Amino acid sequence: MGTPMPSPELIDFSKLPIYLPDVECSSRERIRAIQLAKLIEQVNYTYKHVPWYQQKMDAAGVNPSDIKTLEDVRKLPFTDKSALRETFPFGLFAVPLDEIVEMHASSGTTGKPIVVGYTRSDMDVWSECIARLAQMAGVTAKDRVQMAFGYGMFTGGFGLHYGIERIGGMMIPAGSGNTERHIQMIADYGTTVLIATPSYAMRICEVGEEMGFDWAASTLQIGLFGGEPCPPGLKAELEARMHITCTDNYGLTEVMGPGVSGECLAHRDQQHIAEDHFLWEVVDPDTGEQLGEGEEGELVLTPLDKRGIPVLRYRTHDLTRVTTEPCECGRTLARMEKVRKRCDDMLIIRGTNVFPSQVEDVLSGIDGLTPHYHIIVDNEQGLDRMTVEVEIKPEAFKDSFEAMNDFSREVTDKLRTALLVTPVVKLMEPGGIQRTQGKAKHVDDRRRYE
Amino acid sequence: MSITQTSVFIESKPGHLTRTLEVFAKHSINVRGFSAADTGEYGIVRFIVDEPDRAEDLLCKEGFAVQSSQVLCVKLADNPGELQRVLKIFADHDINIVYCYSLASSYIALSVKDIERAEKALEDAPVTLVEQEEIVELDLS
Repeated sequence: MGTPMPSPELIDFSKLPIYLPDVECSSRERIRAIQLAKLIEQVNYTYKHVPWYQQKMDAAGVNPSDIKTLEDVRKLPFTDKSALRETFPFGLFAVPLDEIVEMHASSGTTGKPIVVGYTRSDMDVWSECIARLAQMAGVTAKDRVQMAFGYGMFTGGFGLHYGIERIGGMMIPAGSGNTERHIQMIADYGTTVLIATPSYAMRICEVGEEMGFDWAASTLQIGLFGGEPCPPGLKAELEARMHITCTDNYGLTEVMGPGVSGECLAHRDQQHIAEDHFLWEVVDPDTGEQLGEGEEGELVLTPLDKRGIPVLRYRTHDLTRVTTEPCECGRTLARMEKVRKRCDDMLIIRGTNVFPSQVEDVLSGIDGLTPHYHIIVDNEQGLDRMTVEVEIKPEAFKDSFEAMNDFSREVTDKLRTALLVTPVVKLMEPGGIQRTQGKAKHVDDRRRYE
Repeated sequence: MSITQTSVFIESKPGHLTRTLEVFAKHSINVRGFSAADTGEYGIVRFIVDEPDRAEDLLCKEGFAVQSSQVLCVKLADNPGELQRVLKIFADHDINIVYCYSLASSYIALSVKDIERAEKALEDAPVTLVEQEEIVELDLS
């Protein structure tokens, strides 16, 4: 039966599963040796099979044979999201599509979606990474795991599904939506693990409470969260109200999807990186220079054995710091601090990427609004909330609340369609948005994670 | 017989209504009645003033979001049941009053969708409608 999460000092980590102890607990020297061997192989593979990278590397005057140590990774050019856009949809693929067994795509909120393809071996690596993070949370073959992510093009649904299958857990592929049915299924099938976004888990929790479902007595024990960052306050609340242990993981479609790193129960604000599959660097976002261990900077990832769509030195724009100190859970794989900040102006609103420029584009297409706007993001009520203040032109004013509410709703609908996030739209009077000199400060991110 | 109402869009924040009133004060526009309603975020303030055309011009020049519209103005006798008597006429004719507010003393402004229809409804009833010109010199006794 579900029990509240004990504090880390009280957990007997020797009793918790580790999916691949041989790798996850190996010496730092051995991890680095694995990384170097794979890096050399991967750079050669990428140069040989992806013309785009061959050109980039030639232009940068670097040859695969120049990579002799892990430090030599610095000689390679960076990759960012624009590379995937420029080559949409399959331009960065290193294998014929015949060898791709599955494709996924990001939501594509700015222009074209990011399209990725996986070979059989990529799927193998991916499910292995998910298996690791599921076991970090205590999931075993005995578990009954209910999926509350949507399946579809999003990497989260299928990614987690395959990882659980790999462990031997029983997948209950319920999918997203119909909250009452989710609760009924937990009761009927004795579900022990729930996979959901933290915000949807909260919805399930609340609906269950309203239905009189007894979370304390339920079979549910673990929540595997993803799809959006999970504020610690929300996690603590879910753990207390649903009587479960919740972890979340980090990943991005461009380098694989979920599973790049996962949270163990010893350090709830950090995640172990699957270092044998991903070479991490932390760099100064302005200069691109590598920073030392423990210094905060931009996370740069190089997948070390991706065959379908290899990327070298992918700039995540996520800010973090990494430590290689051994962990109380027994793992020696490096830990990254959970990402809370970005080094570009991208906002992550409930897991969806939003750029202020997208908001600007939508607003400029609406008659009756001035070009001035202001975005406020907060999480006062636990979940992210985006408020967009827009300024009406004098002629857009109609002396009727009905008409003004319709106008406000029109703005909301257009923003939602473009951003895939529902904002709170506030109509401001002409001149109501503060003018600033120079680059206007459009975003006020008030989210707190303590 | 309807009168002009001057409506202004303002954010529900301290000082925002005052800014409108400052324009009126500076240019000697006399406010004969007003109503402020809001949604919690923004509001619409409606004024009945002695010189609605000039008021609209002045506010436009100052960059306010302004709209003029026509409303009925009814004079009520200062008796119990008088408001009920008048509003019942609208109800009997199935005319919805979108909003109404009182002007100085016993004059109330009412907004309806179809002014003409409402005027017809009031034609045969013992109700005194107020003309635009009378707004300047309302009998407040």
